[in-house]
Amino acid sequence: MGSPFPTSISKVGEGHIVVSPLPSGGNGLESIRYQYPLKLISPTPSVHQKSVLVFLLSYGGGLVGGDHINLDVDVRAGALLSVVTQGHTKIFKSASPDIVTSQNLNVRVQDDASLCLLPDPVQPFADSVYTQKQIFTVTPTSTLCFLDWVTQGRTARGENWSFVSWKGCNEVWLAGHSPDAKPRLLVRDTVLLSSPDSVVLGRPLRDAMHQMAVFGTLILRGPKVQRLADFFMAEFAALPRLGARDFRTIEDQAKEDGQLSELERWRAQRIRMERAQGILWSAAHVRSCVIVKLGAMTVEGGREWVGAMLSKEGSVEEHFGEEALMCVK
Amino acid sequence: MAAHNVAEIQDEIGILEARLRDARKRLENVQLTDTQGAVDRDSATTNNAAASSPNIAPGLGSHTHFLLLLSDSQLPLGSFAFSSGLESYLAHTPPRTASFSSSFLPSSISSMASTTLPFVLAAHRSPQELAELDDQLDAAIVCTVGRRASVAQGRALLGIWERSFRGTVTGDGQVLKDFSTLLRESQGQDVPLVSAHLAPLFGVICALVGMSLRQTAYVFMLSHVKALVSAAVRASMFGPYQAQKVLASAQVQRLIDVVIDREWNTAVEDAGQATPMMDLWIGRHEVLYSRIFNS
Repeated sequence: MGSPFPTSISKVGEGHIVVSPLPSGGNGLESIRYQYPLKLISPTPSVHQKSVLVFLLSYGGGLVGGDHINLDVDVRAGALLSVVTQGHTKIFKSASPDIVTSQNLNVRVQDDASLCLLPDPVQPFADSVYTQKQIFTVTPTSTLCFLDWVTQGRTARGENWSFVSWKGCNEVWLAGHSPDAKPRLLVRDTVLLSSPDSVVLGRPLRDAMHQMAVFGTLILRGPKVQRLADFFMAEFAALPRLGARDFRTIEDQAKEDGQLSELERWRAQRIRMERAQGILWSAAHVRSCVIVKLGAMTVEGGREWVGAMLSKEGSVEEHFGEEALMCVK
Repeated sequence: MAAHNVAEIQDEIGILEARLRDARKRLENVQLTDTQGAVDRDSATTNNAAASSPNIAPGLGSHTHFLLLLSDSQLPLGSFAFSSGLESYLAHTPPRTASFSSSFLPSSISSMASTTLPFVLAAHRSPQELAELDDQLDAAIVCTVGRRASVAQGRALLGIWERSFRGTVTGDGQVLKDFSTLLRESQGQDVPLVSAHLAPLFGVICALVGMSLRQTAYVFMLSHVKALVSAAVRASMFGPYQAQKVLASAQVQRLIDVVIDREWNTAVEDAGQATPMMDLWIGRHEVLYSRIFNS
């Protein structure tokens, strides 16, 4: 415990976070190391903090064409880690299409350990070329909650899915029983957006995105977010049927609205918000994970929706603390 | 890359030449025993006879026969119960802006190819990896409705193999036998070992009946387009003549060729969704008030 600043490791863009439970209770950072252009900050934890909080940053607030980030994260048995960002991860343009900007995240969440990764969305600028791969290795008792989302770019500058390509791959692996055993792939969620490919098929990428400003995937797995996962499935099942008509009179509607439970009133209000903000979402059980897909016509609408869902259910705040939600509020 | 392609093309030439030799030999045998009958039945073609025989055009071979069966819309896969998100797209899109040929069709072809075609190609190239490919595809279809559609058609195709094709095809069907056993053992598991998705099974079965890799990819994509067009007719987007016009169009031929070229060397690990809206439309098929399709 010499310098108060995290020590650096030698390779450009690499970083490593290790979190473990403290003997005195709570969680502590066992190690946090990083190298330019990656920057990691972890505020000194307070006594009441439920999880270790780490800010995932980059110098200058974005990645320049050709930057590569490789971050390893170990959440040791029983520990809790929340990872957030400070504003969109900007992806600057590449000088040529073969200069790829990349981020790789390799996370191991051990038994009874939990990771909550709710960052701001990635914002790829015009002419950027970007690839990210996020690999999460879990055990039957570990908890995982992460959001991966991408925006159309800088709308103020007229950008509308104007990058060359954006590729995002999220994999969840179940660790084998012994350290030598082969892990099992549970989920591989890959999105491949490419302007040249889209043009060859006869329509620009922005047309294929159907006016969506942001696209996201939320993946939930494990005991601490089981209730949250069930909540998403139940809310999806409770969505009003598209094309259904309400044959009740206005008086009957008002009367029945007065008898709604608190949750039903909240849901009705949220669904009005979904319509107003152009939010489309779906939820599915896939091999012991719940996967929520989200598209929104404004980035803020999408953020508000994710925040509303997570706050209403409460598991994230209960287990990880309010700070874990700072990017979706 | 180039060396890999050369080796692959040489392999394919080798296989095709072997198949041609085999077909010629079989043709000779047939002609030895049945020349007179064949000439009587097929007298109309005697004038365009091929080099191998002075009288008769060469037979099309068993692989062409199976190509026609597997590309037939009567193949009982139940494909026409699925609209692959078209019905949901129509419900989510204002009527005046909804368009089949300029919007939904290219999106759907691109999406089907980017998510699934690499699995068809990989299974055709390495049938022995069927179970592993099926498991990986199961991990990659992140939508309930899409999974249901893929598994329903995959199981139907496996049923067709077992009940109808297996007796006739000379290829080694052991891999499919093992797969069926694994499928039975997987029932009720939270994360099943295999699920019987359509794409890898289609690749393996096409390889077993002797179809080439390119034919297999083309039939797979064309069948998808045929199911879409048929769904569009039943959803009253257009009528049967327009449907044939779309199917016959240069656009459809070009789109299929473009996406096959695009995915030819895509590893299954790199397959993914090229049209994220498709996941939303297909996923939200479940919240439609009235439905005529299963997807």
